[in-house]
Amino acid sequence: MASFTASSISFTPLSSSLNLNKGLAKSSVSLSINGISFPSHGLKSVSRRFSVSCAAKPETVDKVCEIVRKQLAIQPDVAVSGDSKFAALGADSLDTVEIVMGLEEEFGISVEEESAQTIATVQDAADLIENLVEKKGSA
Amino acid sequence: MRMQCLDTKFFTSSTSLAPIQLPSRMETHLWYVIPNEVKSEQLLNKYLEFLPKSEKEHVFSLRGDELQKGALLARALVRTTIARYQINQVSPRSLKFRKNIHGKPEVDWQQIEDWHPQQLHFNISHTKSLVACGVSTHNPIGIDIEEKERKIKHSISSFAKRYFSQQEVQLLCSISDPEIQRQEFIKLWTLKEAYVKALGRGFSGSPFQTLTIRSVADSKESFHLSESSSFENSDIVVESLEDSANLTGDWQFALLELVGSHYAAICLRKDCANKCSHPMKMSVWRTIPLVEDEYVSGTDSVIAVGGLM
Repeated sequence: MASFTASSISFTPLSSSLNLNKGLAKSSVSLSINGISFPSHGLKSVSRRFSVSCAAKPETVDKVCEIVRKQLAIQPDVAVSGDSKFAALGADSLDTVEIVMGLEEEFGISVEEESAQTIATVQDAADLIENLVEKKGSA
Repeated sequence: MRMQCLDTKFFTSSTSLAPIQLPSRMETHLWYVIPNEVKSEQLLNKYLEFLPKSEKEHVFSLRGDELQKGALLARALVRTTIARYQINQVSPRSLKFRKNIHGKPEVDWQQIEDWHPQQLHFNISHTKSLVACGVSTHNPIGIDIEEKERKIKHSISSFAKRYFSQQEVQLLCSISDPEIQRQEFIKLWTLKEAYVKALGRGFSGSPFQTLTIRSVADSKESFHLSESSSFENSDIVVESLEDSANLTGDWQFALLELVGSHYAAICLRKDCANKCSHPMKMSVWRTIPLVEDEYVSGTDSVIAVGGLM
């Protein structure tokens, strides 16, 4: 059974019905991650508690952190982790697009605009990436 | 924030802000602060006093002194500026803000007596080195500023294909000089951002790609084809692929260079009464809230690139 905390989940998929993204249209990628998609970033933290998808691998999170650090020229003494919000790190709209493009290049994926808009934290980006990579692999 | 009490130009009290007159209907006001000019710890603390708890928390949630200072200046600028436009003295602290249905910040007028709501519109934009606030009356406004020298890490054409219309992509990709291409990209980006912010619907709610923004100089050449290094102030026209006058006929744009280091784009909804295109009348001030204003329109600090009177 799943047991989860707010920020990390340990989960073993028991059946393929848990692979929510199968059969769904591309534009609903953001739906399949959290199960609930909210337009407002303010509600992001609420939707995470209901998430039943796997949290991204630490390597993915680290890679995202690296790309974000480079794009935003973050000082070495400023910590960047899964919880870090792009806005809090000083990312403007142009930075966010560059980060998404950097992630696409790094992971060989393509991110839909609607999905890109739902990314608020490093963790969000990592989760989205893994979802897209998995989708790509199973296509 | 560092202790640097070099600024001895002082202020009397936080409530004695010099009042300013509202812009007229088709006029815009642009106020900007240069963070490097604000060094006084005491002044920054005064600004902090204007902020309610939630805004203070937001400022301190940002990672790094520079970011925090920029955010603080942005809130101080918008609060003091709006307070100064009020007929009856209002303290910057007392202003309440809320977001409209789409998430665009606006003033919550219920708190202020003797004021007619929806007459004053504002929009903020800032970079590491500049904080700006645009103000208009009756008509929604959006502004965006970017550093002229901002480097784009990815290929301009991949950016363009993602966010710009076909015509704009063609125009950008036809520029052979990478530096000019980069500059034109930044100009177009700020114009589009200003539009998105004026619409107030957020990125995904705005028809980014179906809107073409270009300049129409006398000779029908676009920005990048101009041979001189200082551009003629040309008209900016907007065309939509979709046959919706709602989107294009209603918005006018202006683009300018600020303090030699930034492009600033302003997007204003046209007056319902007057649909025909005409240059935007704009007044620009450099300011340090509570300390000084300097009217800079017509000086080297403000160079019109397009769409301005």
